[in-house]
Amino acid sequence: MTRWAALALAGAALLGGAAAAQSAPEGEPTPGGTLNMIVQPEPPMLITGLNTQGPTLYVGGQIYEGLLTYGADLAPLPQLAESWEAAEDGLTYTFHLQEGVNWHDGQPFTADDVVFAAEEFLVETHPRWRLIHEAYVEDVVAQDDTTVVFQMKKPFSAFLYGFDMSSFPIMPAHIYQGTDYRTNPANSTPVGTGPFKFDEWQRGSYIHLVRNEDYWKEGRPYIDDLYFRVIPDAASRAIAFEQGTVDLLRGGDVEGFTIRGLSEMPGVETTTAGWEYFSPQMFLQPNLRQEVFQNADIRKAIYHALDRDFIVNAIFFGQGTPSTGPFAASMLFHDPNVTQYPFDMDAAKELVANSGVDLSQHPIRLLGLPYGATWDRMTEYVKQQLEELGFVVSIQPVDAGGWLQAMGNFDFDLAFSFLYQYGHPAQGVSRIYYSDNQVRGTHAGNNGGYENPEVDALFRKAADALTEDEARAAYSQVQQILADEVPVLWMFDMLNTTIYRDKIHNLIRTGIGLNEPMDDVWIAQ
Amino acid sequence: MMSFTLQRVMKAFVVILGVVILNFFLIKMAPGDPAVILAGEAGSGDPQFVERLRAEFGLDQPVLVQLWNYVSGVLRGDLGFSYRNQVPVLDLILDRLPATLLLTGAAFVFSLVTGILFGVLAARNRGNVLDSIITTLALIFYATPLFWIALMAVLLFSLNLGWVPPFDMETIGAGYTGWRRALDIAHHMILPVVTLGLFYTAIYTRLTRASMLEVMGLDFVKTARAKGVPKRRIIRRHVLRNAILPVFTFASMQAGQLVGGAILTETVFAWPGIGRLMFDALMQRDYPVLLGVFLVTAIVVVAINFIADLLYRFVDPRIAIA
Amino acid sequence: MDFVKRFSKNYGAVVGAIILGLIVLMAIAAPVLFPVDPWRTVAMPLLRPFEDAQYPLGTDMLGRDIAAGIAHGAKVSLLIGTVSTLVAVLIGVSVGAVAGFYGGIIDDLLMRFTEFFQIIPAFAMAVVLVAIFSPSITSITLAIAVVSWPGVARLVRAEFLSLREREFVQAAVVVGQSVPRIIMTQILPNAMSPIIVTASLMVATAILTESALSFLGLGDRNVMSWGFMIGAARTMLREAWWMSFFPGFAILLAVLAINLIGEGINDVMNPHLRGRKQ
Repeated sequence: MTRWAALALAGAALLGGAAAAQSAPEGEPTPGGTLNMIVQPEPPMLITGLNTQGPTLYVGGQIYEGLLTYGADLAPLPQLAESWEAAEDGLTYTFHLQEGVNWHDGQPFTADDVVFAAEEFLVETHPRWRLIHEAYVEDVVAQDDTTVVFQMKKPFSAFLYGFDMSSFPIMPAHIYQGTDYRTNPANSTPVGTGPFKFDEWQRGSYIHLVRNEDYWKEGRPYIDDLYFRVIPDAASRAIAFEQGTVDLLRGGDVEGFTIRGLSEMPGVETTTAGWEYFSPQMFLQPNLRQEVFQNADIRKAIYHALDRDFIVNAIFFGQGTPSTGPFAASMLFHDPNVTQYPFDMDAAKELVANSGVDLSQHPIRLLGLPYGATWDRMTEYVKQQLEELGFVVSIQPVDAGGWLQAMGNFDFDLAFSFLYQYGHPAQGVSRIYYSDNQVRGTHAGNNGGYENPEVDALFRKAADALTEDEARAAYSQVQQILADEVPVLWMFDMLNTTIYRDKIHNLIRTGIGLNEPMDDVWIAQ
Repeated sequence: MMSFTLQRVMKAFVVILGVVILNFFLIKMAPGDPAVILAGEAGSGDPQFVERLRAEFGLDQPVLVQLWNYVSGVLRGDLGFSYRNQVPVLDLILDRLPATLLLTGAAFVFSLVTGILFGVLAARNRGNVLDSIITTLALIFYATPLFWIALMAVLLFSLNLGWVPPFDMETIGAGYTGWRRALDIAHHMILPVVTLGLFYTAIYTRLTRASMLEVMGLDFVKTARAKGVPKRRIIRRHVLRNAILPVFTFASMQAGQLVGGAILTETVFAWPGIGRLMFDALMQRDYPVLLGVFLVTAIVVVAINFIADLLYRFVDPRIAIA
Repeated sequence: MDFVKRFSKNYGAVVGAIILGLIVLMAIAAPVLFPVDPWRTVAMPLLRPFEDAQYPLGTDMLGRDIAAGIAHGAKVSLLIGTVSTLVAVLIGVSVGAVAGFYGGIIDDLLMRFTEFFQIIPAFAMAVVLVAIFSPSITSITLAIAVVSWPGVARLVRAEFLSLREREFVQAAVVVGQSVPRIIMTQILPNAMSPIIVTASLMVATAILTESALSFLGLGDRNVMSWGFMIGAARTMLREAWWMSFFPGFAILLAVLAINLIGEGINDVMNPHLRGRKQ
């Protein structure tokens, strides 16, 4: 085992080195050019207010904008809001909007659009904003054309972390107000404020965006055309990059082992930056409604039985780092000083033996993630390890729809899952632990059925905290409790490698990476 | 002739209606609520949201009401609305249908032409080396998985030799028009058409060969040969004409099956056709699209069979029009 | 006896029989030859063929023995092939026999019903059935059966339509034999040879279909099959050709062998066509 683990590690180190080499100082920007990319899978639509899936955000991120964006350090940065202030008591937030912004159809963008998004559109359509709005927001008013004020019911420490283009996309009120948002015919010709305008969508083939001549940032964007290509087969996507049909691959476009080969091509750069805001973390979700998983020692035994270095290096080819606990390492309030569960099969077997549970009496189903070959290999690996531990394991066969269904109905024993953490634990993390968030129909709630009033109280305390120190103390405490109880098994922080040709400059500038409007990106001519 | 046509159209109508109803119930049997899946994909789970979606899709009504709504919609030419894509199903399908018809049509012609050609060659050279080579190759291509051939072909002809593009239907963003565009598409078509067609080439080769040999053994051919008619002429005039008919019949019956193979071909070659549309819709539980693709496929298949029938009667007037 | 003699004169068929025999033997002997579960990691990942004598066909990306996978996978591929064909033949013969024997309105109704299944391309239908009922060895087998019975039904119906008019059948009717008995003892035995030939080809097609389903990610995740191996290897086609080559070759051999045997049987059972192969 160790021999090839070492080999894989060497490969990963190589990748890391390549990643560190990015964002060298660059010359004078040159306008013009075409950027060819891949969108995978093909999005159902481009309206980010109606659909928050990855592909929709990737393309829609060039068309629509949010009030804010976030740096790699997760600090809020201006986008459609030029500046903002929060009152001391945490009950009032005021946003000052950019001047001279127009929608792609020429109508002016005003504070009324923001109010419409906050009070009408997103309340109906957006899964996360809806909940925040319900729990915390009292009222939203436009003071004048460029000033919006949010009145809060009570303080919410994570409030400013939910205004990027995926959490709070601003939709044109003049098009949607008073209509049925989902069936509005304008949905096929998106109108935003972003640097690129919708031109054409050949379904099954490509989406074409063109430069917004009237963009509110002077002289931007640099690039003339964006093509998002639809190529359903992973191997074909790798070929497309190799042959120069596309110049940019984002994480997930190609399989892990291909990344290494592509990154060694001349004139090709790679980076793992630009995912800090999302900080996706992969975890195993035991269904705590099952007797065998109610035993914490059994959960810990499974945790010990999995070699996460092997998973990350040999299966994911370096596309991740083993997690140290409930928060991804790039998250705010991450605390690394919690109980660890290193790979140790003997310790795992001892835990099982001491627990007195006969695992062979508890056959379990393993629900893998249906996202391609790499995930299949991980499922097979976990199955193998669990069998070694004494479980009788069968793999629950699912496609993407089936996985959502099984998770949403709590119809699983041990499931692979992952979480986008959205900048702040109160935005993205606490939702999978709150006792009262066991909602059928979603994969991103408390699907395992974990119930601990102390954890609930700590998460609430942190969310309502007025100062950062107060929040930090509560979050540290909750991380320790979780790490001791292991309600879910945090496997690894997912790394997503962006591969691009070195003629592309300024590609990744913020913590939302490629979803960020590409107004500053330029191609050397 | 008129009443025959009318009768056939009525029959076809019944068959297609049957297909629609059968598929409708098949899909209703599927575990998995599209509303739940759509809500899950949107990252949300609250039951209110799911209920709203269910009401929007009409999924909260009894199954028979849903069936009636669907069938009456279809009769009015309304194939429903795609939950996921927020686009009428018919628009989605019409967008993608030409690509598939082009691909499968070309593959059909390719396999028929090459199949008959190789079959005749093999039959004429029965027993010698050429025959053995052709029969063996036909057997091998008949036994090799289509997708495997596709992958190997990409590897060899696109990556190593660089002769043909490995995927896509045309050069995107090139803005070609007219003949230039047609040529560009033709260039992109070579690999997918050949890989999709090879399996059928193998079938038609074997069929043509067998059929030729059978006809060659018949009395009128023997007579012609005894009379000293040159072999080439016997083959062309007498044997081919009679031998080719069963091949045509079989081919017309098989034409619809090409659409099934197109699912694989379109996936590997990023061909924007309905095979992939169907597969994506299936994976996303976008059932109105799935039903729509089935319906359109059924109509196409019935139409092909109908045309083949007419041609057949035209070619071989001995068959009574029943 | 005569059958064996004539069959053995057809070299292709004999070769096919030998290959298939070896594959069946391999499937039976797999637990003895490769006692370790084919899903287990046994060596370095991505060993090339013959790099390590213990793993002559190399290993995959998780260090699993390809040779073991092929041996164990033979069982699944053959099982799916034969069982799905048996089921399809059973349905097809029942429907075809009833339609062909009774004719008239029953025939009409049954044939319309058959057409419903024939109109939708077989592979597309199989994909939908397997996806909807979630991929397992049972759902795959049944899906393949469901899409392949109409062919048998049409064939059997045609045979029955013509055999029904023959004297020996008419005689049985006059004597007052029961319908099931006439079907089973008089007509079916005489319709057997085309059924057997078609069935042998269906086994081959079923193996191909299973592999194509696996390629699309619709295979049973708990059993090792050749289709699964190719599906798993496809993304690494360029880095590790052997991972997809050997299972692909196994499929080719099996399908080829079954086809050769089918042709052999055809030649033996339809002696009037034997002239073709002198």
